[in-house]
Amino acid sequence: MDLKAFEQRIESGGRLSADEALQLYRHAPTYWLGRMADGVRRRKHPDGLVTYIIDRNVNYTNVCVARCNFCAFYREVGHGEGYVLGFDEIYRKIAETRALGGEQLLLQGGHNPDLPLAWYEDLFRGVKQRFPDFKLHALSPPEVLHISRTSKLPVPEVISRLIAAGLDSVPGGGAEILVDRVRKLLNCYAKASADEWLDVMRHAHQAGLRTTATMMYGTVETDEERLQHMLRLRDLQDETGGFTAFITWSYQPEHTERGGVEATGIDYLRTLAIARLVLDNFDNLQASWVTQGGKVGQLSLAFGANDMGSVMIEENVVRAAGAVYCMDEVEIVRNAEDAGFVAKRRNMHYEILGDPFFREHQVPRTLELSTAREAGDTSVPAELVNYPARTAAGKRQRSQPPASPVA
Amino acid sequence: MINIAIADRARANEALTAAELDELASADILSLGMLADEVRRARVGDAVTFVRVIDPTEAAGATVPGEIRLAVLPATLVEAITAVEQASATAGGRRLSGFSLAAIIDRNWGDLAEVLGQLKRAGLDALTEAPLDLLTEAEAALQACQNAGLAVQCLSVQKPDAGVRTDMLMRARALAAKFPWLTTIAPLSREQSVAVPTTGYDDVRAVALARLALPSLPTVQVDWAQYGPKLAQVALTFGANDLDRVSITDDESLGRRRTSLEDVTRNITAAGFQPRERSSQA
Ligand code: SF4
Repeated sequence: MDLKAFEQRIESGGRLSADEALQLYRHAPTYWLGRMADGVRRRKHPDGLVTYIIDRNVNYTNVCVARCNFCAFYREVGHGEGYVLGFDEIYRKIAETRALGGEQLLLQGGHNPDLPLAWYEDLFRGVKQRFPDFKLHALSPPEVLHISRTSKLPVPEVISRLIAAGLDSVPGGGAEILVDRVRKLLNCYAKASADEWLDVMRHAHQAGLRTTATMMYGTVETDEERLQHMLRLRDLQDETGGFTAFITWSYQPEHTERGGVEATGIDYLRTLAIARLVLDNFDNLQASWVTQGGKVGQLSLAFGANDMGSVMIEENVVRAAGAVYCMDEVEIVRNAEDAGFVAKRRNMHYEILGDPFFREHQVPRTLELSTAREAGDTSVPAELVNYPARTAAGKRQRSQPPASPVA
Repeated sequence: MINIAIADRARANEALTAAELDELASADILSLGMLADEVRRARVGDAVTFVRVIDPTEAAGATVPGEIRLAVLPATLVEAITAVEQASATAGGRRLSGFSLAAIIDRNWGDLAEVLGQLKRAGLDALTEAPLDLLTEAEAALQACQNAGLAVQCLSVQKPDAGVRTDMLMRARALAAKFPWLTTIAPLSREQSVAVPTTGYDDVRAVALARLALPSLPTVQVDWAQYGPKLAQVALTFGANDLDRVSITDDESLGRRRTSLEDVTRNITAAGFQPRERSSQA
């Protein structure tokens, strides 16, 4: 392998083919990949900024019929631990988020067959009425598809109705690996094939929304399939230019049906670095401190990442699978500055909003991320009776008088 | 970038000055790591040793190799000697280590060499560590260990303070020159603040500088239990070559590949090194 020739090509902005990327991913020394990725990051972000967003990662329901075998978060319909957050609970979370300088909810959830499109529309409208400037970065492609299927409406129409109700952008969740062989093995092909995932993103971009793209690696996929995933994203980005950022993380195996082991920290840094080299049309790469921890999260900034992601405030999905890291705004900024960067707050469009919020406001430290609900809170939101349930369990629940919420 | 002259001196195993170490500390993290990795491979090859550490209460039933370690120093010398005797009885031929040299000095139990001698006679093979930042008279304390015939497994750092790192590395080098039986430095602090932990850059920089500053100490150690697989694995590529405190508890319910032994060897191999389990001092 002629690393010098690759260096010259990468430094002059040349594009890597699938075969070349595979050679480098498999055989290039880790430091070489890091140096190359860092060089591309510098070229794209010569200002020395590392950005982050203050938002809250809210999972509106854990009830899901998809049953992905890598997921520790979902509960089946009718399960005693299944929940749907009430509108008021979500409004309260938004108010708390704003107090911490947040300007967006990352709102995702399970594929709950008892939540019709109208539920999402009413929620989004309710949010926008109460918090007009607040952004909704909501519903990953498989959720949009799920709503399209349950409402029997085509994806573009679902997207335009959600936009009319207040949707601002679409998170890139549910991509896992965009190769159908892998998706079938992970039992996530039915929720969205690779083409379907990409199609939802294409429609979202055509409707004027910006989205992110993700990759969860470390289950059953080969190195080639990881790169195939990246190349499919690169192709769509060439076509639409709608992705703002790429985020990769390792599969978190605890408490999942699939089990197995988590990919190592070096694997993460190499994967991040090769993504920086392959995804030459993506401006922003996030560090996944929530799966890698703050230390390797910070080291990501030397391996191609230019963004520390979200302060999160709340997290439920990877916590269910065993990852319990927490970084509040103070920590994110300290880590970015310690690595020699200037830390700036941004929005989902990667527009700079300003300096760290905590430097201008009194903000309490957060040493542990919140969860969707307190343990043992099984309350059912009163407004659910207004929405027809599809499942027998959902119908039964909605025919009963609402249980009083846990004090 | 790295100053080429300093890098060449590090490659030649020369003793870098404090100013040179400070200059290396301000180099970009990848260049520093690359140099430390190169120097480590030249000095000690691509093996990574690790040790499974067994609590004395688990020693009787344990069949795995490793080291019995007493973590907490009892309040009195009599109790400490009793704890060592009891642990020694269950050691089954395995090495028995325990206690921090600084903690023993703090107890003020009398003449240090005599105290250490009593612990040695009770069955202790080695002190777990000599924390550089807590020992005000480190040379005298290590001399007492030498006089008592008690090994010290590593020079360590108790508190996270990058501001005194160079000073500590210079002291470690002087101690290693005086006591050639010292083999190991554990440069990552034992204490971590929950609110303001050391950063990943801090940690790997400390590991790399320890590798570059101490040509006479072949082993740069990271605590697997404290720092976790991800940071510990990355530290291996920044010059570390030994992992301390791998658990003996293998929870087979999570599958064989989730056990501590499998996890540590998988991480070492995935970082491009050869795993070697050890049962004696690094
Ligand atoms: S990953 Fe999402 S879609 Fe899959 S089971 Fe979990 S909640 Fe459902």
